[in-house]
Amino acid sequence: MKLRLQRPRMRWRLVLAALVSIGILHIVSILVAPSLAVAPAFVRLEPLLPLNKMVVLPPVTPGTQPLPFLSPNVRYAMCRFATDKGAIEVQARLPGAGWTLSVHLEGGENIYTATAEPGRFAEVRILLMPGDDRFLGLTPEARGIAREGPGMLEIPARSGIAVVRAPDAGIAFPRQIEADLARASCAPQ
Amino acid sequence: MHFYWYKFKLLLAMLTARLADVSVFLGIVLLGGLGTSWYMVEAGSAITTYSAGPWVTWRNAARADADPYTRAHFARLGAMPLSTDIARTYVARTDSAGNRLHSSCEYVIEGDELGAHWWSLTAFDDRGALIPNIAGRHAFTSQTMTIAPDGHFMLTMARDARPGNWLPTGGAGRIALVLEIVEGRVSTLAASPETEAAMLPEIRQVQCR
Repeated sequence: MKLRLQRPRMRWRLVLAALVSIGILHIVSILVAPSLAVAPAFVRLEPLLPLNKMVVLPPVTPGTQPLPFLSPNVRYAMCRFATDKGAIEVQARLPGAGWTLSVHLEGGENIYTATAEPGRFAEVRILLMPGDDRFLGLTPEARGIAREGPGMLEIPARSGIAVVRAPDAGIAFPRQIEADLARASCAPQ
Repeated sequence: MHFYWYKFKLLLAMLTARLADVSVFLGIVLLGGLGTSWYMVEAGSAITTYSAGPWVTWRNAARADADPYTRAHFARLGAMPLSTDIARTYVARTDSAGNRLHSSCEYVIEGDELGAHWWSLTAFDDRGALIPNIAGRHAFTSQTMTIAPDGHFMLTMARDARPGNWLPTGGAGRIALVLEIVEGRVSTLAASPETEAAMLPEIRQVQCR
């Protein structure tokens, strides 16, 4: 057996292998990072929100802040929805500038947002349903039930959170804001 | 006997060298792979974020077509911002001179009306928690800020009470100042964050204790 100590020298193949391995580890860790996150927004909000029901959250204060970097000068009504048993209808009245209705998927993607124009209020109705519902016959039309009121926007989403944001307009308005938020609804259709 | 002992020592030296090579290799790979991932998720890069002075925003925050770095950043942060199609969230952790924002210092935040439908300036601690204070004040918005008739506004961020728009910082330590801009149907901001840079307020340190 022939044994000899190698002299220290630049091992280009090793360097190349290290660079490739670093790249692979970087890509894999970035791709799995969202699923390994300890407390993404959906997980933090899940215990506060019953399924398919709009809840007006208390004012955001240091003791009641459910998410980091959540604006305290905004009141929130939220609904955790799941459309596995049927479509969910979300309604909200957006009475002024800064009011929004947004739909977020479990991963935080904001797939739909409606905003109010200054000086004009908007009534928003959306229907959340899995993308293939049309073909499974779960929509009211498919069951032979005519919809009431104006047409609704249908949004494919299996589960997530619908959020109504109401900006603080000053100390004279909290009751009115709370009343408008309480009118928002989220229920199976 | 000496010959075998010599061969054994050579073998041991070779194995040690191999083991050291493998350890160094694995160390470099782990440090490089996970380190660059951590940096790209935590701080972002020019691909994922846009910086204007002290203000940093994630270009594709909450978008359905967001890149993996942005998704990982917000999943780790635990925040749920509005999509950048409709809103923009800027975070400043330093003042305009590049010094770390800290509750032991007093700052003046000065700018002009942002022209958006609604905006807010909020002081958080470094981890995104609101800062408890006796005044119970954590933010100013376009509706609650006192803005001069010419559209100019000035906000003082300090531990102790100040006249005018005062944002208390208590004893939070490091501070993150968040500017959230919400647009309406017709967006003046949606084109690109670059166009907004000139509109963003300046953060000036007045004094430190």
